[in-house]
Amino acid sequence: MNYFTNNHVEERRVAEEKEDEEDEEGNENDMEAWERAYAEDRSWESLQEDESGLLRPIDNDGVQHAQYRRRLRNLSAASAASRIQKGLIRYLYIVIDLSRAASERDFKPSRMAVVAKHVEAFIREFFDQNPLSHIGLVTIKDGVAQCLTDLGGSPDSHIKALMGQLSCSGDSSLQNALDLVEGYLCGIPSYGHREVLLLYSALTTCDPGDVMETIKKCKRSKIRCSVIGLSAEVFVCKHLCQETGGSYTIALNEFHFKDLLLEHAPPPPAIAEFAVGNLIKMGFPQRAAEGVVSICSCHKEAKVGGGYICPRCKARVCELPTECRICGLTLVSSPHLARSYHHLFPITPFEELSLALLNSSRHKLQKTCFGCQQSLVPSGNRPGLRVACPKCKQHFCLDCDIYIHESLHNCPGCESLRHSKTVNNIE
Amino acid sequence: MSVLKKSKKNNKRIIVWKLLSYCFFKYLREHLSVISGPVTVMDSAPSKQYSDDVSLVMVLLDTNPFFWGGENTTTKVSFSNFLNHVISFLNSVLLLNQLNQVVVIATGYNSCDYIFDSSTSESLNVSSGNGKMPALCSKMLQKLEEFVIRDEQLSKENSPSGIVSSLLSGSLSLALCYIQKVSRSGRLHPNPRILCLQGSPDGPEQYVAVMNAIFSAQRSMVPIDSCIVGVQHSAFLQQASYITGGVYLKPPQLDGLFQYLSTVFATDLHSRSFLQLPKPVGVDFRASCFCHKSTIDMGYICSVCLSIFCKQHKKCSTCGSVFGQANPEVKLPTDRKRKTIDLNAAYN
Amino acid sequence: MPQVKIIAKNFMDMVAALPALKLDKLYDNTFICEAVLRSLPPLAKKYVLQLLYIDEPVTAKSMEDWVLTDGVSKHRVAIDRLIQLRVFLEITDRKKETSYRLNPKFQGNLQHYIAHGGVLPRESMSSSITVRLPTAEELDSYALEQWESFLLQLISSSQPEKTTSFSSSMMKIFQQGLLSLRDKEAPKLTESGFQFLLMDTNAQLWYIIREYIINSEVRGVDSADLISFLLELSFHVTGQAYNASTLNEIQRSAINDLAELGLIKLQQGRKDNWFIPTKLATNLSVSLSDSSSRKQGFVVVETNFRLYAYSTSKLHCEILRLFARVEYQLPNLIVGAITKESLYTAFENGITSEQIISFLQQNAHPRVCDRAAPSVPENVTDQIRLWESDLNRVEVTPANFYDEFPSKDVFEGACDYARDNGGLLWEDSKRMRLVVKAEIHTLMRDYLHRQK
Repeated sequence: MNYFTNNHVEERRVAEEKEDEEDEEGNENDMEAWERAYAEDRSWESLQEDESGLLRPIDNDGVQHAQYRRRLRNLSAASAASRIQKGLIRYLYIVIDLSRAASERDFKPSRMAVVAKHVEAFIREFFDQNPLSHIGLVTIKDGVAQCLTDLGGSPDSHIKALMGQLSCSGDSSLQNALDLVEGYLCGIPSYGHREVLLLYSALTTCDPGDVMETIKKCKRSKIRCSVIGLSAEVFVCKHLCQETGGSYTIALNEFHFKDLLLEHAPPPPAIAEFAVGNLIKMGFPQRAAEGVVSICSCHKEAKVGGGYICPRCKARVCELPTECRICGLTLVSSPHLARSYHHLFPITPFEELSLALLNSSRHKLQKTCFGCQQSLVPSGNRPGLRVACPKCKQHFCLDCDIYIHESLHNCPGCESLRHSKTVNNIE
Repeated sequence: MSVLKKSKKNNKRIIVWKLLSYCFFKYLREHLSVISGPVTVMDSAPSKQYSDDVSLVMVLLDTNPFFWGGENTTTKVSFSNFLNHVISFLNSVLLLNQLNQVVVIATGYNSCDYIFDSSTSESLNVSSGNGKMPALCSKMLQKLEEFVIRDEQLSKENSPSGIVSSLLSGSLSLALCYIQKVSRSGRLHPNPRILCLQGSPDGPEQYVAVMNAIFSAQRSMVPIDSCIVGVQHSAFLQQASYITGGVYLKPPQLDGLFQYLSTVFATDLHSRSFLQLPKPVGVDFRASCFCHKSTIDMGYICSVCLSIFCKQHKKCSTCGSVFGQANPEVKLPTDRKRKTIDLNAAYN
Repeated sequence: MPQVKIIAKNFMDMVAALPALKLDKLYDNTFICEAVLRSLPPLAKKYVLQLLYIDEPVTAKSMEDWVLTDGVSKHRVAIDRLIQLRVFLEITDRKKETSYRLNPKFQGNLQHYIAHGGVLPRESMSSSITVRLPTAEELDSYALEQWESFLLQLISSSQPEKTTSFSSSMMKIFQQGLLSLRDKEAPKLTESGFQFLLMDTNAQLWYIIREYIINSEVRGVDSADLISFLLELSFHVTGQAYNASTLNEIQRSAINDLAELGLIKLQQGRKDNWFIPTKLATNLSVSLSDSSSRKQGFVVVETNFRLYAYSTSKLHCEILRLFARVEYQLPNLIVGAITKESLYTAFENGITSEQIISFLQQNAHPRVCDRAAPSVPENVTDQIRLWESDLNRVEVTPANFYDEFPSKDVFEGACDYARDNGGLLWEDSKRMRLVVKAEIHTLMRDYLHRQK
């Protein structure tokens, strides 16, 4: 039952890293074991008694493991992509299998509920990371694919539509779903990336014709198809993914499923043949002062309060992004675009400093984390592990390392030095 | 720095305030009675915090020598005067609640560093040895002085030309790291917020880094307040305060700075939902182009990586994709029925 | 006899209740001003800060402009509080317009604070004299131990493990209202005593301190002096040693008592004595404000009536024992069950079901609170209430019994009269007997006399 053929390498690396991991008991997981009990089964097994008879949770591998894996992914992504090309304008259809198989209860409470819960989180994360992208939802039920929502950019409307449609019956049909989606995705602009993400519960597909033909058609239309399976590997899905350049993964449990799903949120590397690059002219309107009265060009009436002013024709519009009614310029807010810039300028992974080095030259080392001022001096149960930015040579604690790479996307050290190249060590 | 030494005499300033605060007060009253409508306040609901009004204030102090030592000294306060106001503000924050915490980060020209943290024991235990100097003041000024000297040494003698911005992105990043540490430290922690006291103009080369910091602050629900002591408005900070739900203010009269700081920026997050606070006077949403680092309000965007350029190019310098035939005004949605693209409406 | 007040901030009410002269005298002390300011609601603090450098009175109307419509009620609470504590002085001018200004003494003290920063009330002693100071952890556990042993002694005076220096009369005063002290009978916890145990540490502390202060007048100590000393104490740095010789007579007598409560630790050196404030002392001014520093809950109640308390405190165990059967105890976990028998003993002691339920709810573990479901399962709360009402199945009503009516008419008239007055409990028309509530007995008698 090895579902990890594609992740094999990564798995092995994780296993290797895990040994190092065991030293660093993160402080952030000081939640009592029983507190987590409501989320996971068999929580009593993760309790142990210490020498004084107190109950303590066993070091929780799972959480750290996941964090570390994400870090590893960052590492490999950064090293692999020497030239950063990402498909940032994405048109993604999420196809949810709501056939009979989705009512299976091997995921609690049911596969369908688990899928719905995590798709909601995924949609929000997706729009956070891909500002100008679009999502559409398709469901498969009774052998028929049905479009739930058109391609659109508002997360709430998708989630609302999905939550209203949760019931499952009948068979699943891969071909019907692909045909439907292919029809929709044909019409999008050439610079957009076409993607399909199937969340497949069934082990079979019940198709009206030859599914292989459809797969070829998808390949011709440059649609990248990925599948996350909830039961076991299916040949036709694997074939689909291989042909169209997508990824095929199987979820072992709910957490694994969540991880696999969220792996699809960051933009995929751009493939030149899939989408043609283009320059699009856009305007960045300013927001008018609160309390100013002006005539709005979209509603044709006087409005009070902050609107946006088109930089070319100075017309007022109510919302961004939109297209100026007067001059036709595409108007976006620059923060929208800026949300994705950390993909373009990823910060280099920090280097872990070995304990041997620390011991040999302790007197010269920084005493505190450059970011948060937390002490890095080893004391008691804290081994005082640290990482260093290869550019500015500042040292950071592990918590800051994760925060910097996963949320902030700035190296505080490099940002705090104007001439970071000429200065090797601030001390 | 001689400016710093002058500030040690905190005489006379009370008289100045008394005169000015009344003027300010009148101004504020008139100002506030005009505006109406709801304020954008972030919901700070998490129950794992202390009572509502316990705050952690991260103060980012602009110490750019090119700003404070600049020629246009007639329109603004001197650095020593400015420091007097700020120190009084810090005192008043600490006065309001025993659990309040203040951290000061200096935003220099060449570097950024922590210069004061009210939670560390050393800052508390300082006995006011010489009697004249308040403990907070002396400790902070000493570290500030060291910082400014170090900052000065870092800049090679070649005086920069053009815009001399301070490293806002660096100090914002530091402040966010610190806030992360505080929020993961335990169940009870004060409500964090950031206050930027900025004088120097924006540095367009920091655009991406500042934006990254702003989004990270937004995700962790940390409002960024900004108080502009310089001559021009700051587009970065306007966006920062707008996106994170903080307050942006450019006081018209800098002599009464303390009154502004205490009236507007000392307000804890909880009380902000009940009080009239200054509304934004418009937000500058212009971006910086990647090719010349200049601020533009119209430009070209690479469809592959969303880089912004001020002119048409054949090839994207960021991602290297070669552009097909220049098609300057592609409508984003092909579907003509939809006139507005409801992209991310929820994130606005 | 003073009643137990559940609300901790009553201490500030006590300050507010002081006569204006005394209150103004208190404001001479910077630390009092500081403590009072910190005890105010957030909005009120803002107002004080806003008006700090304004010497002219500000009209009430213009202050109302500061708040949004949502905040009007909060605004009113804030202003009321400020006036109550004489931080704001109300001035009514000729046009009957109200305006406020800050109490000049208060204003002056705070202005000084803002300009010069916080100063410590007294210098700490240098470490060369005080050889070994306790670490923060030691001090915390010391404070907790002192306080809990005091509490244990308070609630179960019969079995003192460790006697305190409080005179038995002092102890009696504390116990007043908490324990029912009857001669020859073991003291029992009263309802208010149980409520007292339910309060969090700061609230309990304030209750005791409050009693202590009220009692001070009897001992010939001015309560204002004591209040100012206590508030001042809260501005000392935890864990630092302060020379006891800097204290005056009143204060020196007070610190012994305070040491018993765990507020300070006394140490003796070769020449000097010194005292070290603990967290309890420095939290005094914090606990003045209503919602801050609420204690973490620790109890999980399951639907099968089992109860898990994650606590190392002996006191918690004692409290749980009041109404639950403690089954076993690990160093940091108490496991018990709520049984009918255990609850019956609680009810016999005068504890009500509502008190037990509110205790369980208030001390519910945060993880339990986070869930949408009620923090104590509904079947448990219902059952606790049912068991209580089981006990009260027989309702006793004082009543009078009437019989031997001369005629059916008189009997029926009496019945109707009693019914009209809402006092008829039982009637037997065959044998012409009826039972009427005692409170209308006189009315009945008058009526029956009239009938004759």
